[in-house]
Amino acid sequence: MSANRQEILKKVNDVFIEVVDNEEVVFDETTQASDIDEWDSLTHIQFVVGIEKFFKIRFTSKEIQSWNNVGEMISAISEKI
Amino acid sequence: MIIKKKLHLYTKNKLLEMTNLEVIKFKIKEKNQSHFDKLNENLFHLGEEYTFLADNFFEKYFKYLEINNLKLDFSIDCYLHMIDDMLEERFNFIRTGNYSNTSFEEVEKRIYGNPNIMDYHMHGLVLAQFLWFDQYERISFFVKNLKKYFLNKKYYLEIGGGHGLYINEAVNLLPLKTQFDLVDISQSSINLAVGILNNTSINYFLKDIFDFTETNKYDFITMGEVLEHVEKPLELLQKAASLLNENGVFYLTTPVNAPMIDHIYLFNNVDEIKNLIKLSGFEIIEDCTVISEKMTPAQAAKFKVPVMYAAFLKKLIKTK
Repeated sequence: MSANRQEILKKVNDVFIEVVDNEEVVFDETTQASDIDEWDSLTHIQFVVGIEKFFKIRFTSKEIQSWNNVGEMISAISEKI
Repeated sequence: MIIKKKLHLYTKNKLLEMTNLEVIKFKIKEKNQSHFDKLNENLFHLGEEYTFLADNFFEKYFKYLEINNLKLDFSIDCYLHMIDDMLEERFNFIRTGNYSNTSFEEVEKRIYGNPNIMDYHMHGLVLAQFLWFDQYERISFFVKNLKKYFLNKKYYLEIGGGHGLYINEAVNLLPLKTQFDLVDISQSSINLAVGILNNTSINYFLKDIFDFTETNKYDFITMGEVLEHVEKPLELLQKAASLLNENGVFYLTTPVNAPMIDHIYLFNNVDEIKNLIKLSGFEIIEDCTVISEKMTPAQAAKFKVPVMYAAFLKKLIKTK
């Protein structure tokens, strides 16, 4: 499967919307957890696992802890798909 | 009355006198700001009774650290290490829907038989007793009700005493004539309980509870956070029943959806626990359920967050 960053961003956004049940959340590559009210430690786990399931990939704890924003998450996804 | 720890910290030239609990939180803040923020948010509503219980227990724990030439920083590191483990386990749980361990043999080999892991895990759990509000709610439920279930009784047993918090409160609350017995399968746990409690009125037994046979039956049995550590919880409840007097009371706590490095048996909801209680020949006198995050039961179920269950039980009366 290949996808460009924009497509990945769209899917990542969709997964988050599904987790928090709020269609108004709009991500861009600079979005950070602190920018979104619903993005806490619990939703983060569901969100990351949701991304893993969709893209059929697996992140290590080190990778998960290294992301500072959505863009860095997209880079990690791009490397695995 | 809140006990003030005689530890003085100079911060921006100001002398601060902190409670034991505040000292612990201050140290966590230095090492993990976001976890500190979460603790503060969760513990904000708890009152003076909470601080009193926590500080009394931590006073004993601090003495234990001092005697063993251990620094509080060691404890904080243990606690944060345990938090990292828990995050790892939670990811696995959300991915698979299962706990990472399914057999006792596996956990015994990986965890109980490994003093390094047991050490940091047990020290981490000591701090968690009062840093996690759901843990406090359980001990508070126990403390508020223990005396009324122990009227004119003598024999107290704790199964899997861990760091000894429950039996410490029982010793504080119950008559001097009470016989206090504690059975634990782990030498590390017993060492920690003996060291922290420093109380000669408690009899310790290093044993698998299934190999424990005493001549006396007990009037009251406490089993906090043990059921999830075994493969066959029904058998453990039946064993507890066999050690309890016919009119005795059994205090049980166990969590739902709570992945940890040494948890084996997964309860998916509180009803599964209640059904098992009934099946094992007990009935609930009163119980308490606490969600470990500030959220509704529906949200807790959706995100599979840990839910803590505690209950005072009595034996079902057999009808002929």
